[in-house]
Amino acid sequence: MSDPIICCRDVCVAYGRNEVLHQVNLEIPRGVFLPFTGPNGAGKTTLLRAILGLIPIRHGKIITPFRQKPAGYVPQQRVIDPLYPVSARQIVAMGLHRQLRWPGPLPHSRRTAIDAALEQFGMLEHASKTFRELSGGMKQKILLARAFVAGADVIALDEPTSELDESAETEVLNHLLRLNREMGKTILMVHHDLDQVARLTNTMCRIRHGKAELIETGGSHA
Amino acid sequence: MHDSLNCLYCQFGDALSAGLLVAAVCSVLGVYVILKRAVFIGITLSEVATCGVAAAFLLGTPPFAGSLALVLGAVALLSLPFERQQIPRDALMGILFIAASALSVLLVAKSGPGLMEIDALLYGDLILTSRRELVTLLGILVPALLFFVGAFRPILYTFLDRDAARVLGIRAGLWETLYFLVLGIVIAATSQIAGALLIFCYLVVCPATALILSKRLMVVLWIAPLMAMTATFSGMLISFHADLPTNQTICIIACLLFITGAAIKQLVRFLVRLRIS
Repeated sequence: MSDPIICCRDVCVAYGRNEVLHQVNLEIPRGVFLPFTGPNGAGKTTLLRAILGLIPIRHGKIITPFRQKPAGYVPQQRVIDPLYPVSARQIVAMGLHRQLRWPGPLPHSRRTAIDAALEQFGMLEHASKTFRELSGGMKQKILLARAFVAGADVIALDEPTSELDESAETEVLNHLLRLNREMGKTILMVHHDLDQVARLTNTMCRIRHGKAELIETGGSHA
Repeated sequence: MHDSLNCLYCQFGDALSAGLLVAAVCSVLGVYVILKRAVFIGITLSEVATCGVAAAFLLGTPPFAGSLALVLGAVALLSLPFERQQIPRDALMGILFIAASALSVLLVAKSGPGLMEIDALLYGDLILTSRRELVTLLGILVPALLFFVGAFRPILYTFLDRDAARVLGIRAGLWETLYFLVLGIVIAATSQIAGALLIFCYLVVCPATALILSKRLMVVLWIAPLMAMTATFSGMLISFHADLPTNQTICIIACLLFITGAAIKQLVRFLVRLRIS
């Protein structure tokens, strides 16, 4: 395996007195497709959020490259309120925030990058639609394009297929596999379907009783 | 009508300018109040500001100082993390609203002036805006608008997807607090002049009309102040011409614009459906 891109050392995360993750030690290799699996309430999302710096850790250390290059984050699609009158293109533009410090129209180079990201996920023709006007699968692809547009090395997804029908789910997972295999992106994904995970990848992060470990699935992906 | 316009401009030029300024700034800020689904915060802060003015009236301090102190206190209280409390933030807002509304009347009742003063304090009267108040408004509202324009993207991204914004390095908590602080300052500055009802109207009715008419945020941010300024201008003109209370006339016109906007939207939808079928 290659050098780790993320290291968790003795990480403990708690909500009040309830310790969800207990002394997690994990080295996530660069370029891996890594689903986080485990029973409900095991701490899959908590671990992902801790790695992203979204929740404080009680003790331990998480080493990530996100200060230099932020991760691309794909939340569950219901996080985006459909009330917002923003286009798919505007949502993808959010991924370029670090390069868009000042208000005003997007520079040509950024527009090109956004269009390229939309094209990558087959969403260019829907760029002007608002988030509300998109189907579940399309919404997920727009959020993927947002995570992808700034060239993040790590893309973290929280149950990206939980609200999709089977065909949209397959399409989104194929996009993720392509990002991993063809572009070498590290994919961290909270996922509930163990059988599907086993088919997708040969490594997964199993979280049980507050502990996390990388295990081999014997899947076809290599 | 032309004479009324001339008279209005000659006699109440400052009031007209103040009204248009308050309308523009409050309605722009109000777009995010609606999108954030925090409509109740608008009326709560307006009532708290009114209560601050009433307290200042009693203590003999400048009204803006009183309203600012209470509004900033309320913003600080509402920004506390409520995720793990037993009551939601909305409930606290409701309690603040009730307390502020009742206390305003009690404070004014104890301060000695008559019904006219109470009425002016609680409901405001835009038409009575003085040159000094206009200058104060300019000093507060123009920087507030510039802040909003300058911080447009981080605020939008924070409200749109807080976690993704944080992953991107946006200090979401800071931007959210700054937005509500600026909103609080604007409400504190404008409530005494325009009254809680009119401020709430600018914060909610005009942005809602804009949101009905367009599905592009940038367009919404232009339509909302345009609607608010149209309602203000025509409301002041009609109230002057027909001798009606100014603020309430503006509110009714804003609501009529909303109804018209909603009707136009439905008509367009109907015509589109008809064309498709």
